Amino acid sequence: MDTPPLSAAPQDWYWLYDIPTARLAILFVAAFVGFYWAGCIFLRPLLRQFVKHTSGANDIVGYVLSCFGVFYGLLLGLIAVTAYQNVADAGANVTREAAALSALYEDVSNYPAPHGQNLRWLLRDYTRYVIRYAWPLQQRGIVPEEGTIRVEAVQEELLSFQPATPAQEILHAEALRQFNHFLEARRMRLFSVTSGLPAVMWYVMILGAVLNLAICWLFDMRFITQLVLGGILAAYLGTMMFLIFDMNQPFRGQVSISAAPFEAIYDRMNED
Amino acid sequence: MPGITPPDSAPRLSRRSALAHAATLAAARVLAPATFAGCSLGLPPRAEKVFVGLLHSQTGTTGVGGRSLRDIELHAFEAINLAGGILGRQVEVRAPNPGSRFERRLRLARQLIDQGAVAIFGCWTSASRKSVLPIMEEAKRLLLYAVQYEGNESSPCCVYGGMVPNQQILPALDWLESPAGGSRRRILLVGSDYVYPRTAHYVARKYLAGRDLQVVGEFYRPLGDRDFSLVARMLKELEADCVLNTVNGDSNAGLFQALAEAGIDPEKTPVMSTSVAEEELRSLPPAQLQGHYGVSCYFQSLATPANRDWVAGFQREFGHDRVTDDPMEPAWCLVHLWKQAVEKAGSFETAAVRQAFRDGLEFAGPAGPVRLDPKTQHTTKFCRIGRIRPDRQFDMVWESPEPIQPDPYPEFAFPGWKCDWTAGGITRGAEVSIDGDL
Repeated sequence: MDTPPLSAAPQDWYWLYDIPTARLAILFVAAFVGFYWAGCIFLRPLLRQFVKHTSGANDIVGYVLSCFGVFYGLLLGLIAVTAYQNVADAGANVTREAAALSALYEDVSNYPAPHGQNLRWLLRDYTRYVIRYAWPLQQRGIVPEEGTIRVEAVQEELLSFQPATPAQEILHAEALRQFNHFLEARRMRLFSVTSGLPAVMWYVMILGAVLNLAICWLFDMRFITQLVLGGILAAYLGTMMFLIFDMNQPFRGQVSISAAPFEAIYDRMNED
Repeated sequence: MPGITPPDSAPRLSRRSALAHAATLAAARVLAPATFAGCSLGLPPRAEKVFVGLLHSQTGTTGVGGRSLRDIELHAFEAINLAGGILGRQVEVRAPNPGSRFERRLRLARQLIDQGAVAIFGCWTSASRKSVLPIMEEAKRLLLYAVQYEGNESSPCCVYGGMVPNQQILPALDWLESPAGGSRRRILLVGSDYVYPRTAHYVARKYLAGRDLQVVGEFYRPLGDRDFSLVARMLKELEADCVLNTVNGDSNAGLFQALAEAGIDPEKTPVMSTSVAEEELRSLPPAQLQGHYGVSCYFQSLATPANRDWVAGFQREFGHDRVTDDPMEPAWCLVHLWKQAVEKAGSFETAAVRQAFRDGLEFAGPAGPVRLDPKTQHTTKFCRIGRIRPDRQFDMVWESPEPIQPDPYPEFAFPGWKCDWTAGGITRGAEVSIDGDL
């Protein structure tokens, strides 16, 4: 297997995930409310020209906003569910990988020397790498590549073992099966480091939010009321966007999938 | 009614006053950085980093040793980072895998340099070191090499942390010839077929010329090959009473298996191995090795407080059953010597670091003090001979009274050759043919 590049370049906006969650939420809300208020001051006078001489303009605008809200709400809801599912799947993959690793460790512990010891060392080394090096990289949005080298070493040692008895044959077959499960779960984890909503979905969501707020600018009401009512809507839109943004990258940010399953088996490995 | 304002007369926020408020907000935004100095988004501080490469094969025929070196160097850099890094910068380590393959090693060495590695710690065999050195010299970066080697080399871009023949093989030959070593008289040289064993055997032949201990033959197998059945027959036919073993990597399993199957008794015909350390012993059946000897600068069984602490520290991080061995100790020392040099130079630049070597850096390693010789860029070493125990450790039977100065060009083997990087570099002597007098 050829060695891949040492690290993948993170997305430009990934630095946002380095902001503590509570502050990021406030930032999103502030951005949406700020945008709405700025629009109230600078754009509302222009947009109001379209409906100024229409009788019952507020009713029409209200009706349009309701229709739009249904479609946009559905979209946001579905995307939020997808993002949550993404996080849940990534968490399940991490648990599956750790479980397969633990089972493999138990299997190879029964191999004769020196294979058993070699494999235990290699699996322990892999686990240590995942906790110490891979996880911090994942949290920065970088796919950790040196784990592949450690997996290659495990594979090399595993395949160099020649079972000498029927019992060893059964044990070896089981170890290879666990190794394959481990490889699958590991690959899924690495895929989910950079997977997320496609850019086009973000464009649609942002456009929807802007249109939603723009429709609010068309209402004829006291300026301060406009600021408060529209501000509440903008704040909630910001909260929804924050929720989707935060869940979009399961390994990024303060609230993300932790390496706890690996830490648990590493402690167990060191107890042996 | 006083105090109550009718709804119709409630003050309305006019567009003009809203604009005035907006202007106030904008002014506040401009003044905010000064007003709220110290407030931030909570982003973690970005530590400045410097990047070094570890170029050890982690799979393939030299994978076992390579992984040990990678781990001890990672351990060293983790400790350094924990203590604040070097010159206030955290060290980021990248360790790609050459996989014991020539082309991949060259490509990865270039890749590490292109990515900005200030130094590379790596290589196992002399063939790998020699292949990487031209790249390092072209890029003017340092290669820090921890494994014992054959000498006959000195590069301004390499720091050699392992033993050279005058620190390892020659004391071992002296010991075999002495009464303590059994007053041996006929030695067979057995090695893998590449530059280290060939040159080491050449140095041994030259050293033993005219001595009581005579070289009766030489035998080579390709690196990675395990067929040593001929060696046992040669030992008997040539009536050798000891063996100098420079076989490298997992080929040693084949050698010791062949000797055991032929019933070679370690008491009568001991094997003195230069590349069999605790790490290699794990993969070899103890019954086949017990009683044979190893020569190196370090054994895990060294009973010194410094070594016990070092071994315990490594095992705490990497597992209580992990072993430490000869190349790992020099690798640890090299990391710390390089750190000292960088700190003394105040820079990661190779030229400045090399200039710092001139002060003769010293580090208290687990096997005793190690001094970097500025003339040769090699290190001083204790030489230790150990007898292999059933538990795959060594019982030390001899130790040099003091650290031995490195001499990559022994005069008897490389007449006229000298090395002094503090004054003029290499003085070239007569060309020698390594295999010429076989």
